[in-house]
Amino acid sequence: MALPRIGSADMTIDQVAARLKGEIAELDDVRIQVPDTVVCRVDPATLKDVAHRVRDIEGCGYEMLNFIAAVDRGDKLEAVYHLYSFVSNSYLELHVGLPRGKAEVDTVSDVWPAADWHEREAWDMMGIKFLGHPDLRRILLRDDFVGHPLRKDYADLVENHPYA
Amino acid sequence: MGVTDKFPDGFVDKIAEKVTDKFAGRVDLGELRERVPVDKVRDRIHYPSLNDFQRPNVVTTTADFVFSWARSRSIFPFTYGLACCAIEMLSSGFARFDIARYGYEVFRPTPRQCDLMIVAGTVNEKMGPVLRRLYDQMSEPKWVIAMGACATSGGPFYDGYNVVNGVDKIVPVDVYIPGCPPRPEALFQGLLELRKKIEDMKFVPTPAGEATID
Amino acid sequence: MPSVFDTPAPDAALQLALDRVKRSEEEGRGSDMEGLAFNQVVVNMGPQHPSTHGVLRLVVTLDGELIKDVIPVIGYLHRCKEKLAERRTYYQYIPIVDRTEYLASMNCEWGYVLTVEKLAGIEPTRRVEFIRVIMAELMRIASHQVAVGTFTADLSPLGTAMAFYTFRDRELILDLLEEASGARMMFNYFRFGGVRYDLPDGWVEKCHALMGKMPKLIDEYEALVKNNAVFLSRCLGKGVITQEDVAEYGITGPNARASGVAYDLRRTRPYSVYPELDFRVCLAEHGDVYDRYQVRIDEMRESVKIVLQCLDMLPDGPVQVGSLRAPYVITPPPGECYVGQENPRGEYGTYIVSDGSRYPYRLKYRDPCFCNLQIFPKLLRGTKIADAVAISGSMDMVLGGIDR
Repeated sequence: MALPRIGSADMTIDQVAARLKGEIAELDDVRIQVPDTVVCRVDPATLKDVAHRVRDIEGCGYEMLNFIAAVDRGDKLEAVYHLYSFVSNSYLELHVGLPRGKAEVDTVSDVWPAADWHEREAWDMMGIKFLGHPDLRRILLRDDFVGHPLRKDYADLVENHPYA
Repeated sequence: MGVTDKFPDGFVDKIAEKVTDKFAGRVDLGELRERVPVDKVRDRIHYPSLNDFQRPNVVTTTADFVFSWARSRSIFPFTYGLACCAIEMLSSGFARFDIARYGYEVFRPTPRQCDLMIVAGTVNEKMGPVLRRLYDQMSEPKWVIAMGACATSGGPFYDGYNVVNGVDKIVPVDVYIPGCPPRPEALFQGLLELRKKIEDMKFVPTPAGEATID
Repeated sequence: MPSVFDTPAPDAALQLALDRVKRSEEEGRGSDMEGLAFNQVVVNMGPQHPSTHGVLRLVVTLDGELIKDVIPVIGYLHRCKEKLAERRTYYQYIPIVDRTEYLASMNCEWGYVLTVEKLAGIEPTRRVEFIRVIMAELMRIASHQVAVGTFTADLSPLGTAMAFYTFRDRELILDLLEEASGARMMFNYFRFGGVRYDLPDGWVEKCHALMGKMPKLIDEYEALVKNNAVFLSRCLGKGVITQEDVAEYGITGPNARASGVAYDLRRTRPYSVYPELDFRVCLAEHGDVYDRYQVRIDEMRESVKIVLQCLDMLPDGPVQVGSLRAPYVITPPPGECYVGQENPRGEYGTYIVSDGSRYPYRLKYRDPCFCNLQIFPKLLRGTKIADAVAISGSMDMVLGGIDR
């Protein structure tokens, strides 16, 4: 099945933002970052539903997941989903804020299979748990590593250095 | 080469004549216009005899020299190329920086057939046990070169939570090559230092993994 | 420390593979081969293996010679780069970005510098833009030379013939880059708003001469394998990536363009002076191993064209914006952004969150090889081990980027 030709929807970024705001009400705070990125916030409870609709939206469906960045904002953790749409040649950033104590959100690996490893990395580095992920285990660090290094309150532990 | 002290008759005299002829032709003897007498030259030419080989320390030195010479000239490196330094090691194997002119082009991928482990790149806590296991699988005598700043002391990543600051925390290292990455010429200098170190090896068995220089 | 005489306990990935084998045996799917009830073996193509792809570990479940399952295990080169970003100033971090995809250092630096320049609002001069394009395209040729050379070297144990040719010519390109920047591999050349050194005298003529020779050299590489029946039978029709896979798994770069998806950031999201340059996006139809190799060869030719155009259009001017002191410590205003750049392996970029201080608050890499590696289990299921080596060679992995 062939992908649509890149940019064949011929929409400007303002039109894309308007379409997204119109069709998907759960997107808060829709802003445009020039030249071609739409940035918005999503509540973690509605993420799965939004993900399905964002992927299948008519005219600017976001079929490709570029990356999932996990950011430690101090008061909360944030998962940033960066998506790309072939047909409208635009990018979409979904910011999902999660409380530090209970950083859990639904997985989107059934929507975009590329999310599999990105979510594992977010779990490994930041400790964000993705519910429903087929195989959530550490990807870059040793299996018996203690802690999540990219958190701002991570301290270097002796158990993590058997060889140094 | 003579191992007997018996030569055919007249052989020694013929050789002595040839030697003196050459000598007389090349040097102006000045007042010594006469040819040097043959018997004086014959007494000076020393042909080795069996007696010379009966003294034990002379035999050991020669065998040491031969074995160390052979070992140092035909090292089989084990490419333990982890990161960027591996690319410089690869470049040193190809046409411009030819490692084959030193005799070290036989890079074996399995540690069981190698004597030299060139650790090229950063070693981290996940890779540590693998490194130790591969080092243990090599057979004696074996040497280790730490190539690059990361293998020497952690390099630019020294304060990472997952980085081992130097491969010598896991295996004993013989030669350190600084650089990030070291040029192929620097790798060759390291290999030549290792060659000097191997040439100084003695035939007496040494403790595992160590080449002593005394 | 483990001794060579102990068998270590299986780690998580190996245990997962063994569990899957046990489950498939219980369900009666022990073997796909006739007459065998159970034939599965779990083999470790362990972190040290003779190809040059680096420390990638594949836990392979084999049924005879067919691969039933592959579990890639990465992280053997994890160097904590994202955490180090929080302790180095923006300027101090440039050499570390170099070492991400160490075969394409110039492009990696550009990916980082683009994001920081966008955050800080710095615009480089026109001469700098052209120099950056020249360096990036030269690096693209060099990187593809390594990719193609090591790919053909993987296909047979002593088959380094093409590798000798490509590495010989790669040294010529690295000579040029060394004259301009001072280093052979980790250049530390890009700066915010400029580049470190201007091009030395005579560099343009030397580059022109080398680019004049390059098309013939590329023909040489092709001629070695183009009509080789063994090469063609090992590469045609193997490891097909469909266009659906490209979207689902986020595959970019020559791997995606070989499947016919025209995703090239130099055209779809142009940066620098690429809109003014005339080059085509190299596509292929089938997405198999041979097409990925062919796309890389074609891209080398296109890069030569780009470099020649830039050398002709190179304007005069300064190579550093502002005074020399200014970009040493920059403090971009608070904000975040992501700019992608076309690396020889795909879309590479850094997502930087800045809090107004001298250090980045959070730096996340979008690495092409990390995304491309996810499709391995799907690609390699049902193939033979020999094909697995060919397929993994054609995907062009660099572990420095995958593990960061």
